[in-house]
Amino acid sequence: MKRRGFAFDLGIATAVLVVLVILPILFPSKALIDFAIRVAAFGIFASSLNILVGYTGLVSFGHGMFFASGAYAFGLLMQKAGTSIPTAFLLTVLISAALAVVVGAICVRLKEIYFAFLTLAFQMLLHSLIISWQQLTGGDQGLMGGIPRPPFLGIDLSDQSQLYLFACATLVISLLLMRHLMQSPFGYTLRMIRDNAERAQYIGIRVWRMRLAAFVLAGTFASIGGIIMSLLMSGAYPEFAYWTISGEAIFMLMLGGTSAFLGPTVGTMMLLLLNDVITKFTEYYGLTLGVVILLFALVFRKGVADFVVEEWRRRFGENQA
Amino acid sequence: MSKNQKPNRITRRRFLKNATALGGAAVLGFPMISRSQAKTIRVGMPTILSGRVAQLGTSSRNAVMMEVEKFNAAGGLGGRRIEMVVRDSKGQPQEAARVSRELVNSEGCEILFDAEASSGAFAVNEVARDLGVLCFHINSETSALTADPKNRIPNAFRTARQGVHDSIAGGHYAASVAKAKGLRQWMTCSPDYAYGRDTTAQYLEYLKLFYPQAEVVGEAWPKLFQPDYTEVITKILQAKPQALYSCLWGGDLTSYIDQGNIYALFKATQFFAVNMADYTALTVVKNLPVGIHSGNRYIKTFPKTAANAAWGDAYRAKYGEYPTNWAWESATTANFLTAALKKANSADGKKLAEVLRGLKIDSPFGTDGTITMRAEDQTIIGYAIGWGTTISKEPYMPEVTAGDWKQILELELDWKKRNKYI
Repeated sequence: MKRRGFAFDLGIATAVLVVLVILPILFPSKALIDFAIRVAAFGIFASSLNILVGYTGLVSFGHGMFFASGAYAFGLLMQKAGTSIPTAFLLTVLISAALAVVVGAICVRLKEIYFAFLTLAFQMLLHSLIISWQQLTGGDQGLMGGIPRPPFLGIDLSDQSQLYLFACATLVISLLLMRHLMQSPFGYTLRMIRDNAERAQYIGIRVWRMRLAAFVLAGTFASIGGIIMSLLMSGAYPEFAYWTISGEAIFMLMLGGTSAFLGPTVGTMMLLLLNDVITKFTEYYGLTLGVVILLFALVFRKGVADFVVEEWRRRFGENQA
Repeated sequence: MSKNQKPNRITRRRFLKNATALGGAAVLGFPMISRSQAKTIRVGMPTILSGRVAQLGTSSRNAVMMEVEKFNAAGGLGGRRIEMVVRDSKGQPQEAARVSRELVNSEGCEILFDAEASSGAFAVNEVARDLGVLCFHINSETSALTADPKNRIPNAFRTARQGVHDSIAGGHYAASVAKAKGLRQWMTCSPDYAYGRDTTAQYLEYLKLFYPQAEVVGEAWPKLFQPDYTEVITKILQAKPQALYSCLWGGDLTSYIDQGNIYALFKATQFFAVNMADYTALTVVKNLPVGIHSGNRYIKTFPKTAANAAWGDAYRAKYGEYPTNWAWESATTANFLTAALKKANSADGKKLAEVLRGLKIDSPFGTDGTITMRAEDQTIIGYAIGWGTTISKEPYMPEVTAGDWKQILELELDWKKRNKYI
């Protein structure tokens, strides 16, 4: 079947954005809005991790470092430098990209478990730095005093409904960009590296350079997730840089799937929903979630979106995810 | 109506009009009033109910429930009962913020009892700032939470100890012991995170203020939740300090003491552990050394009053365990809320905040039987602060030297000025 291009994706993205704009009018619930903002933050974060895991074949255990760098860089720029939100947003993305270049240049030359653990080590290094540099970061108490959110271009992000629209737009634009990149020759080069790095190298592809580009892209998008989270929380906390946040992103991929492009976003919704529902009824959140994860890992061996895409292909003969 | 008619005479028309009005009111109005009276006052409580510090959440919840049940049994606020909605934040600030928002936005809670550790408390504070909901910080002792104007919001009140109060009282007590025993060489061993470093620095500051001859000969900073203290203990033994200060707490403190006992650490040095005199630590240490100097966290013998002893016994009888430091703070929170509800005769957050500023309540945990919510920074003062030495069985700390609140407040003011908080 003929592959659909960017215009089709753009049409879908616009339609989704329209639905998201209408949603709070149909269901005026503050809880729903909060949930959607969190889905936006973690959805971008998990999808960015999938650039590494699903498309490049690099399992990073330290991806949370970029989520944290996004939240902290943005929070500090707003608190200490008093910049406008767009400027802080742009600078944060650049800072995180620079961090990803440095960390990636060291990590991407390694394979599999060594790559995974080195990224974890860098994440824990950042976590220790945040805890120790108390004067700047507030240490284990996080950025205190709230993050200023001055209006820009008539948009007031201290207003929850405007933050919702901003987060939804950022999610849709980020996913569209990631989708476009993964459907480009660059994205297919990453898939080739994932499937057979030696062959890719043999035909002239500089594998480590491509991996580094993927790493920087993933880190940059992850930082956007961190920015949204810091806007919602009006703060940034060292837990954003702890290894468990990277673990949660991997759980999101496991629940949603890595083959389908929207799998990580679906997984994000599932994990957050599980979290919110389970913590309402029991203190044994970890146990319940562990059972669900085990079920996906040992029994299904695929994410929900993977099943949906496979079923779609089976019925309609679609050969593109 | 003619001039000869009596004004109060009931005519058929007037009767019908009044009856219609009464009926209308009965149908439309009174159910609203009665529903409003019956409507519960929902209080959301984000706290830690799972993981290593779950006791913070469970003992806070227990103490709040005990006080709320008393209020409800006494008729509540004109029939309106308090309903607690308690949620686990798993000790993660972002989850504490999420849960707090959920409690207000979808559970209909009008008031928040923030029973989080410090980082969670700062996260909940931002939620309270955003949503404008009345919030009580129950457990965070970090002074900056209410002392620093950038954190302060008109709708948040702290009903917990404050680090700087404990440090002033502790420094004064330590200096008096040091003078009497000639303890010049000091060492510290505290957990390596913000609370440990801040509290230790403040304690030493006031020790040196009251006893300038004190000299710090070494510092040890074990990690939070570190299982093995051998290296730290060896370092202390080699430095041979005359006195040792620690703000280790909970399981860390008990492990440290159990391991220190093996090396006879506490026979060689005077040990000042601010968090020792809490039943959670006192009853867990295998061989509690006699003569450990400690601040009171919660013990039922200080203040030495019938009310405090009765409260401690009632808690233990109800829950089958000793109350904690977090428990008295939580009970105090519930007491402040119920007193404010009665005084304001309303559950409206703004009205409650108004009456809470400067409110003094009778309390078994007050130095003089009362605790005051200081108006200017919305934090409690006058709660029991004291230091004494431990024994290995009940009452665990038989004699307690009470802190001087006049001195505490004077030095706190000076501390605030130095930190440019005022």
